[in-house]
Amino acid sequence: MAGFLGGLLNATVSAATVFILAGLGELISERAGVLNLGVEGMMLSGALGGFIVTVVTGSTWLGLFAGIVAGMALASIHAFLCISLKANQVISGVMLTLLGTGLTTFYGSRWVENSIDGFSQVTVPLVGQYLVDIPVIGTALFSNTPTDYIALALVPITWYFLNHSNMGLELISVGEDPEMADTMGVAVFKLRYLAVIIGGGFAGAAGAHLSLAFSQLWVPGMTAGRGWIAVALVIFAQWTPSRMLVGAYLFGMLDALQLRSQALSFSVGADTPLAGIINPTIDFLMNGQIMATYPYLATILVLSYAVIKTKSDRLAVPSALLQSYSRETD
Amino acid sequence: MPESAFLEMQNILKEFPGVVANDHVDLQVERGEIHGLLGENGAGKSTLMKILYGLYSQDEGDIYLDGRRLELDSPQDAIDAGIGMVHQHFQLIPRLSVAQNVVLGEREPATLFRSDGESRLPEAVRSNGVVQALARRFSLGLDVPTQRIDDLADQYGFDIDATAKIWELDVGQQQRVEILKALYRDADLLILDEPTAVLTPAEAERLFDSLERLTEEGLAIIFITHKLNEVQSVVDRVTILREGKNVGTATVSEVTQADLAEMMVGREVLFNVEKDGVELGEPVLQLQNIHADNDRGIESLSGIDLTVRAGEVVGIAGVSGNGQKELAEVAAGLRRLTDGSITVGGTDLTGAKPKRFVNNDVSFVPEDRLRYGCAEDLSVMHNAAMKEFTDERFGSQMGLDYRELAAYAEELVEEFDVRGVRDVTETNAGDLSGGNLQKLILARELARDPDLLVANQPTRGVDVGAIEFIRETLLEQRTDGTGIVLLSEDLDEITDLSDRILVIYEGEFVYETTPEAADRDRIGLEMTGGASTDAATAESPQPIATGQDGEP
Ligand SMILES: Nc1ncnc2c1ncn2[C@@H]1O[C@H](COP(=O)(O)OP(=O)(O)OP(=O)(O)O)[C@@H](O)[C@H]1O
Ligand SMILES: [Mg+2]
Repeated sequence: MAGFLGGLLNATVSAATVFILAGLGELISERAGVLNLGVEGMMLSGALGGFIVTVVTGSTWLGLFAGIVAGMALASIHAFLCISLKANQVISGVMLTLLGTGLTTFYGSRWVENSIDGFSQVTVPLVGQYLVDIPVIGTALFSNTPTDYIALALVPITWYFLNHSNMGLELISVGEDPEMADTMGVAVFKLRYLAVIIGGGFAGAAGAHLSLAFSQLWVPGMTAGRGWIAVALVIFAQWTPSRMLVGAYLFGMLDALQLRSQALSFSVGADTPLAGIINPTIDFLMNGQIMATYPYLATILVLSYAVIKTKSDRLAVPSALLQSYSRETD
Repeated sequence: MPESAFLEMQNILKEFPGVVANDHVDLQVERGEIHGLLGENGAGKSTLMKILYGLYSQDEGDIYLDGRRLELDSPQDAIDAGIGMVHQHFQLIPRLSVAQNVVLGEREPATLFRSDGESRLPEAVRSNGVVQALARRFSLGLDVPTQRIDDLADQYGFDIDATAKIWELDVGQQQRVEILKALYRDADLLILDEPTAVLTPAEAERLFDSLERLTEEGLAIIFITHKLNEVQSVVDRVTILREGKNVGTATVSEVTQADLAEMMVGREVLFNVEKDGVELGEPVLQLQNIHADNDRGIESLSGIDLTVRAGEVVGIAGVSGNGQKELAEVAAGLRRLTDGSITVGGTDLTGAKPKRFVNNDVSFVPEDRLRYGCAEDLSVMHNAAMKEFTDERFGSQMGLDYRELAAYAEELVEEFDVRGVRDVTETNAGDLSGGNLQKLILARELARDPDLLVANQPTRGVDVGAIEFIRETLLEQRTDGTGIVLLSEDLDEITDLSDRILVIYEGEFVYETTPEAADRDRIGLEMTGGASTDAATAESPQPIATGQDGEP
């Protein structure tokens, strides 16, 4: 059981990284007032872009970089449509996901057979091995891919940036009230572009982590809805990085659990009362296909919880989310 | 040009589709003066000031400040030139603190990197250009700015806690934060667009004191208002706009309020409306022992009893924040009661949905016209028909007859003289000037011929000509048998229009009188809760109003 738990925790960290990166990216974009529903599409292009560059150059780091650039490239389309042309953010975002999915399926099919080494687990120098040997949590905490550490580091960095830097303050103001920000001399358009494109970079990195570190292969559609979960996580996190971390681990755990469902078997003894009902129920609930729906069920629960909760609290949603801005409405 | 003024705006032309908002306007303002800018709603005052602040760009004309020609492409250019502006609608972010709102855009680095602050970093590192550039972007220090804000606040007598969040402040304080924003940037020219519209008379007095201190230091102030008595008491010279044109500049001491009104409107304005006697009918609104909370969950109505009869105007006076907003919302069905009951025209509507209030012929003019009074991004037509579109004449269940809706909207625009509407289906409500939007909302609410009208600050931000019109309209409604609850911070308005006056203080009615018997000092005292402490010395304590015993 300890072995199972250790493996599960280890996989959770890696799965959570996807949500941390994609979720933080979406969070930054939304704090500037731009909803980007194209996360799924940006992740897929990040995953494929990263994979191809890694195969071609043999360098996983170059691959990660390419994934980030691919995410940014798609995000710039969204930025241009929504900020400059003032298109509807929801429509543009959905379009972006369709575009990303379509392009990566079309161009990605011939890369499916390729294999890469991907990111390997690294440990702290000198004392690393002793830490890893700690039972159960050792590998989960101290033996991870570089992207896992980067993602973890980005949580406090993003928090600091948003709450303790001038750029962050300006970014928030643009998401709260672009007109007000404009009257204070804040470059509204520039900041919104910046936020959306950085957000795209984060999503691209999330995708690259998926193909280069998490599964170390490329399959079309491999994000399997994780981008949408990241969008929901932003609401769960109430637009704060620290709560994003909690949500990401929650969903990372579900993700990891589902991948390991085969290794699990629970049953009660045949002589227990109601065993005839309990055992088939457990089998049903532990079925791999059923377990694959858990993240989505959890999303629904989490969102309902967040919405009910925010009714009483002060709503944390950026006030100008979804609003385009123009100085003169003529 | 010989002897040019501190600020020279020359020949400014600004056109919006279908409207010439500024038609070759000239404006001169000197250092150390408070320069009034007067004009009807939609005359182009805000537009002219937005051009001066770099928010709009003029189609023609030039701006000179202190002899230099200004090219203003953005507010940042205006800020750099020493211009500060307090906008007609507050530009503050409620969720952020006072200090954060004030320093936004100034890029104040963390104390560690400041050249003026205490710092352990060597001077050479601190003054390095790259370090500065990074520090200004990726750090934020609020200690030094907070000190500076506190100093400024002290200097001008503002009671502002720089660490408080904006949503915790009342409107008067928010107003002062707006001014602090400009002072913090060392403005030489301060534009105030209707700063007193949301202030109580006492708060306005305090603002004027501060403004006078500012002009003593050589600031030039442009002051937009619709209140002619304010012009008389604080303004030195005044420029008047009418339909986008400058119709003249006058020295205030040489003209009367009536002159000013006539210059603005182009005709004589009646300041006093005639009120004729009306038979009181059945009660249209009965509030019994009303208790309700405000938005922050604190009880703000504590046992209100009120009866309004058909044909009666009940004026409710009070200092803002004593439950007026909540009372208005309760009477219009928009706020949940924690206790008590509401009867409208004989029907018990306690706990009923707002829709049932609307269906029972209750009309409501909210205090915040932009947020609650209209849908900014919908057309004038949509806004005008918002409460009436289910009426049969606009089509069946299946579809709406847009031509009929547009015709209805046009009728209202015509009747209530809403200006600046090019096409009812295309002009958005949010593009109307403040006063014209107010007229549109009134038109929507009154055209339904309500049995009960709840009007909260109906003439706020409205020009003298329109005030006259709105007051007359309200009295006409009264003659037609509408019961009216009038909440206003303008005591003259209350005494001119009401049949009965109630003073609200901390969520309770503390005093009742009639316009004939009204003693302004007494009302003023009651409004601030002063009477309860001076009760012993007050002449004859009036009974606490129950609402039931309203004398005609
Ligand atoms: N962004 C805009 N687009 C189109 N028309 C506009 C816009 N802003 C103002 N207008 C029009 O320009 C005219 C002048 O408006 P402005 O806001 O300057 O009036 P104002 O004098 O400030 O009035 P008020 O006293 O009611 O605030 C109005 O007819 C208004 O409808
Ligand atoms: Mg205006």
